[in-house]
Amino acid sequence: MRRFRAVVAVLGAAVLLGLTACGGGASEHKTTLKLYNDKGAWKPYFQQLNATSKKQIGLTNQPVGYTDEPTYQSFIKASFRTKNKPDLFTWQVGSQLQDIATTGQVADTTDIWNQGVKSGDLSNDVKKYYTVDGKQYCVPLNVSYWVMFYNKKVFAEAGVKEPTSWADLMADAQKLKAHGVTPFYQTNILFSFVWFQQLLLGTDPQLYEDLSTGKAKYTDPGVVKVMQQWKGMIDKGYMSDAGDKTDPGALLKSGKVAMVPDGTWFNTTMSQLKMKPGSDYGTFVIPNVNPSLSTTSMAFESGPLCSLTKAPDPQASLKYLKWWVGKDAQTTWSNSRNDVSANPKVTSTDPNLTTLTKKANSSSTKLYLRYFEAAPPPVLTAALDGFGAFLANPGTYLKQLQNIQQAADQYWSQHK
Amino acid sequence: MTAVTDRSAPPGTSTTPGGAGRRIAARFAPYGFVAPGVLLTAVLLYLPFLYTLYIGFTNYDGLHPSQFVGVDNFVQFAKDPALLTSVRNTLLWVVGATVVPVVLGLLVAVLSHGLRHATWYRIPFLLPYALSGAGLAVIWGFILQHGGAANQVLTALHIPGGDTSFLQHGPANTIAMIIAITWQQLGVNALLFMVGLQSIPVSPLEAARLDGANAWQLFRNVTWPLLRPLTTVVVGLSLVASLKTFDIVWVTTQGGPGRSSETLAVTMYRDAFVTGDYGQGAAVAVALTVVTGLVSFVYLKRQLRTVT
Repeated sequence: MRRFRAVVAVLGAAVLLGLTACGGGASEHKTTLKLYNDKGAWKPYFQQLNATSKKQIGLTNQPVGYTDEPTYQSFIKASFRTKNKPDLFTWQVGSQLQDIATTGQVADTTDIWNQGVKSGDLSNDVKKYYTVDGKQYCVPLNVSYWVMFYNKKVFAEAGVKEPTSWADLMADAQKLKAHGVTPFYQTNILFSFVWFQQLLLGTDPQLYEDLSTGKAKYTDPGVVKVMQQWKGMIDKGYMSDAGDKTDPGALLKSGKVAMVPDGTWFNTTMSQLKMKPGSDYGTFVIPNVNPSLSTTSMAFESGPLCSLTKAPDPQASLKYLKWWVGKDAQTTWSNSRNDVSANPKVTSTDPNLTTLTKKANSSSTKLYLRYFEAAPPPVLTAALDGFGAFLANPGTYLKQLQNIQQAADQYWSQHK
Repeated sequence: MTAVTDRSAPPGTSTTPGGAGRRIAARFAPYGFVAPGVLLTAVLLYLPFLYTLYIGFTNYDGLHPSQFVGVDNFVQFAKDPALLTSVRNTLLWVVGATVVPVVLGLLVAVLSHGLRHATWYRIPFLLPYALSGAGLAVIWGFILQHGGAANQVLTALHIPGGDTSFLQHGPANTIAMIIAITWQQLGVNALLFMVGLQSIPVSPLEAARLDGANAWQLFRNVTWPLLRPLTTVVVGLSLVASLKTFDIVWVTTQGGPGRSSETLAVTMYRDAFVTGDYGQGAAVAVALTVVTGLVSFVYLKRQLRTVT
């Protein structure tokens, strides 16, 4: 019996200790911040910032990278309900940012934005994507413009040049096809939306925005026409096999496809494949399909870097975010990945990128939020499925648009 | 489990000092021994299941407080345009991934049984079982993709189908993945049947042979009936595994293109973790659990009754 009592006593003590441990919660003083992200391959680029940040603010980051988006998002959402909270984490703008901001747990960065815009470290144009109910949340992790990457050698061999109009682009595609090269890359997994986004933005940008806000329908004649145009390009043999799982960078490098529409972050992939900008590959702004539009439509994306009000050391996290948007951090961050920076003061070491950035920010170009962030998640999921099915059977475009609209109807009936 | 008590003494009394304490300890000791197992099962299995059941009736999105929505999620599930495709694919998996690997496994076991160096014949069939589900999916994804190894082999051998997109259209993509699973599962089924064959007593076989039974009659009337208990287990396991098919589909096609290869388990994952609608995902999980439970119950009840 004595042994029985002793066992009970030990178990009781263990339970009490456990409860005590769970009941903690005082904020700690941190010098290394865990930076959770869905960009597992960017680990070395995050780490490159540590030398400067340690010297300037006494903080370093420890990247915790995920490669599977649903797993990552589940983890971050779960952290809102538990005590295991990230110091910093990456997210998405649009309705995804709105979703987490309305929980009241995301740290308010209005002061950082006000100071950043005033000092010129942050762009006022980007601010609206970080604004929910008049307040700003998170800061830009990155900014990317969606342009066309092309293989310079293939272009030279086929005798084609960078197009300045949609007619030029189609003429180039015809020549490349005759030369035995597939002109354009497309895929049916995740980025199946890219050509829909590009064709719609270049044809009727207002319709693109109206679709994102539920004011237009996917079955509207303008959208149907875009799908017909996409199908036409597939029928002409201009598009790559959407089911091919080969990395688009590898396809471009090998010359199997001549052009890949992608965000400027694709430069990072090119660098990893030892492709040199200017000599091996080039980029150009994709011309509008509709030449009568007054400005060139360009898709734009920005991913937020966020912190929580109940992060382990909220002050340290906010201090890091403030430092992140500064010129020193952004110069290292954008040049290491060979991508553009969210800080307008930062100039790229790649002259091609500098030119692109100038064009993107000129009055002749209008930026539109990428479809991936612009569409609400349930509509996006249905759209990605629909575009995937369309790419398998292009003749079913109308049925796919109806399916997407069904998801949109359901979403907007609850979110108007 | 017998309590050490003095049965001649009235209840509540003891004949020795400290006897009452010992009696109570002895009575509760068995519960103490099973408590860790029961606790783990309750915490890790029953609680999550009950919680899933609960959120299946809410609009929980993983972030905001949930509200009770009645059977809305189940109605939504029934209205899902991909439900029919999902059910068709799940049925294909149940039939294909149960019947084909079991029949072929039995065939390999029976044909190699009693042969010299039979182990060496069976090893190649067993090796794929060492692969994880995700690994299998990656390898077969490269084999089956358009322009992949399967297309190249067909083209090299001048066999029609060199330009077929195995993963682009349903239900061909589901059938292609069932072939991949068969490649993996065949060996372990053969191994289980081998164990069954080795445990069959020699005397009924010899008696049948003396009665003039040929090889087919021997198998049909003696071997097969004696293998029934094992077949019940093998088929039962395959049945449940195929009803919840997820990993190979998710890694190879993510249920696409256009949800054409989606199964019920993929629908559940998609709703919960891709769309972020945990309530909807939980409703699909509950529906899938009910179907799996019912099918397993009916199958096992029927088979065990036949066996006994």
